[in-house]
Amino acid sequence: MNYPALKGEVSLPACRQAGLQASSFSGFHFRRKRRDIAAAEINYIMLLEIKNLKVGVKGKEILKYINLNIKKGEIQALLGPNASGKSTLAQVILGNPKYKITEGSIFFNKKNITKLSPDKRVKLGIALSWQNPPVIKGVKLSQLLKEISMFRGSASKHFNYEKQLLEREVNVDFSGGEKKMSELLQVLTLEPKLVIFDEIDSGLDLKRLGEVSEIIKKELLAKKVSILLITHSGEILKFLKPNITNVMVAGKIICKEKDYKKVLKTIKKYGYEKCKKCRRPSI
Amino acid sequence: MKNVKNVADRAYKKLYAPVDYYQINNQIPEICELKGIEILPSKLAWERYSWTKKYFSKKPKSGYFIWVKEQPKSALFTCISIANKNIRQELQNLLVVEKDLKVELQGACNVLKKNLAGIHQTQGKIILKQGSVLKYNHIHSWGDRDIIEPDYEFFLEKKAKIDYNYKILSSPKLLKTKTLITLLENSSANINIVGNFSKTKAEIRESLILKERGASGIVKLRLVGSKNSEITAHSQIKAQAESKGHLDCQGLLIDKTAKISLIPELICENKKAQITHEASIGKISEEELSYLRTRGLNEKEAINLIVNGFLEN
Repeated sequence: MNYPALKGEVSLPACRQAGLQASSFSGFHFRRKRRDIAAAEINYIMLLEIKNLKVGVKGKEILKYINLNIKKGEIQALLGPNASGKSTLAQVILGNPKYKITEGSIFFNKKNITKLSPDKRVKLGIALSWQNPPVIKGVKLSQLLKEISMFRGSASKHFNYEKQLLEREVNVDFSGGEKKMSELLQVLTLEPKLVIFDEIDSGLDLKRLGEVSEIIKKELLAKKVSILLITHSGEILKFLKPNITNVMVAGKIICKEKDYKKVLKTIKKYGYEKCKKCRRPSI
Repeated sequence: MKNVKNVADRAYKKLYAPVDYYQINNQIPEICELKGIEILPSKLAWERYSWTKKYFSKKPKSGYFIWVKEQPKSALFTCISIANKNIRQELQNLLVVEKDLKVELQGACNVLKKNLAGIHQTQGKIILKQGSVLKYNHIHSWGDRDIIEPDYEFFLEKKAKIDYNYKILSSPKLLKTKTLITLLENSSANINIVGNFSKTKAEIRESLILKERGASGIVKLRLVGSKNSEITAHSQIKAQAESKGHLDCQGLLIDKTAKISLIPELICENKKAQITHEASIGKISEEELSYLRTRGLNEKEAINLIVNGFLEN
């Protein structure tokens, strides 16, 4: 479906349950709304701008004309079913060479970073918490944190969170929860401007999820760090209450919605299938 | 002599620790006097103690003799360096640890400059008497024109233990090592050989002989093949009695010009013996590399960290 909003800044609704009026989305109104949003955004500092991004791997197209803007201090969520391209987007923002950008560009702090190496992107202030971080045998977490803190941040000041992990090899026999805490610790050490959390809530019980959310609030949101929360279940949204919730299906962002509750409610009730059928823009 | 002394002083300072036996080139070594421990040049030990003749294959030219007769209060340090061009060292070392003593030995062999084209040949014998324990950290650091041939034999009497860590910090042009460990009743050996090789041809041979009942040993190899290196490691465990042994050989290729051959060999001559091996050669995982790069490390830093982790593991 070649929906016009997919090529612009304005996106589609969570679903019909959002309760928006169909008549307000004629072509004219749609364009005017787009201008209004653009004007309003001038008052904010845009940190991350992804423009018409098309990405493939081994000749297969994975991301299709992605547009995503994140302002300074803003928290956005990206929801989607399995294999919809969420993690790929995270890896592409960090510059993983496995993925080839065939069209479009990525700007960070107004700088075009589309061709920048991952380490340089990190040094500019982008950090990624991996969904399934690999094992690094023989390297203790404390060693890795020291390496990280050589160019940015301080490892020691975040050590209070998970002291028992520090003397263990990175991700070797870590439980799901320990992996998430290790990722969080590394991200905090980087002292970033933007953090992408890829499924930080998966495998965490409610208590642990609450603890992780508190750390994110205290150490990142309170310091105006921008966040992109990639989540499959959406559990963490209840704790962190994103400003905008995006829905990605089959490599396309098909919805942007301010009220995360509406999105969650719909997905819980009808699944992502409903989002695919939904044809109304929101925001 | 003055020049040699100056170089020796500089090298000595680099070690940041008092050295109990320090030999530079083939000059008369500096030796510390320690209570209950006799440290001599091998040549002198050959003359003074006739019993040493059964351990030295011929009259030694140089090298150390260390006889630990009483429990040392701290670790022992030895250092053998090459400081000038085209030096040939032919060393015969002998370490004897008496019954039930626990000894830690830090041994370093190195060159003070990278382009000296030295030759370092060692025949070392380590005798651990009944119930004694030795932790031996053996560090080598060479230049890319050196030829290095260490040949060590460990002989462990009943209930003796050895923890031997041989680490090559900087590899030579040619490295030929031979390590033979003979274990008697209920003795045990933990042998770790690690090295990152660049522009090196290396032939590494170890042989663990489980000679008597209850002997056990593990041999662990971690070998990294960097630019223009060719590494062959032949590791053998021979069980002659009811005993246990394990070989763990792993290679990591980090350059397309590198080549590693791992040849594990198990020989079992007793039906109650249990000997096993594992061997693998791999490359650096792209995922690990990507992960570390998203932590702000550039490609070289990320590879170094992975390699160091591999060697430590």
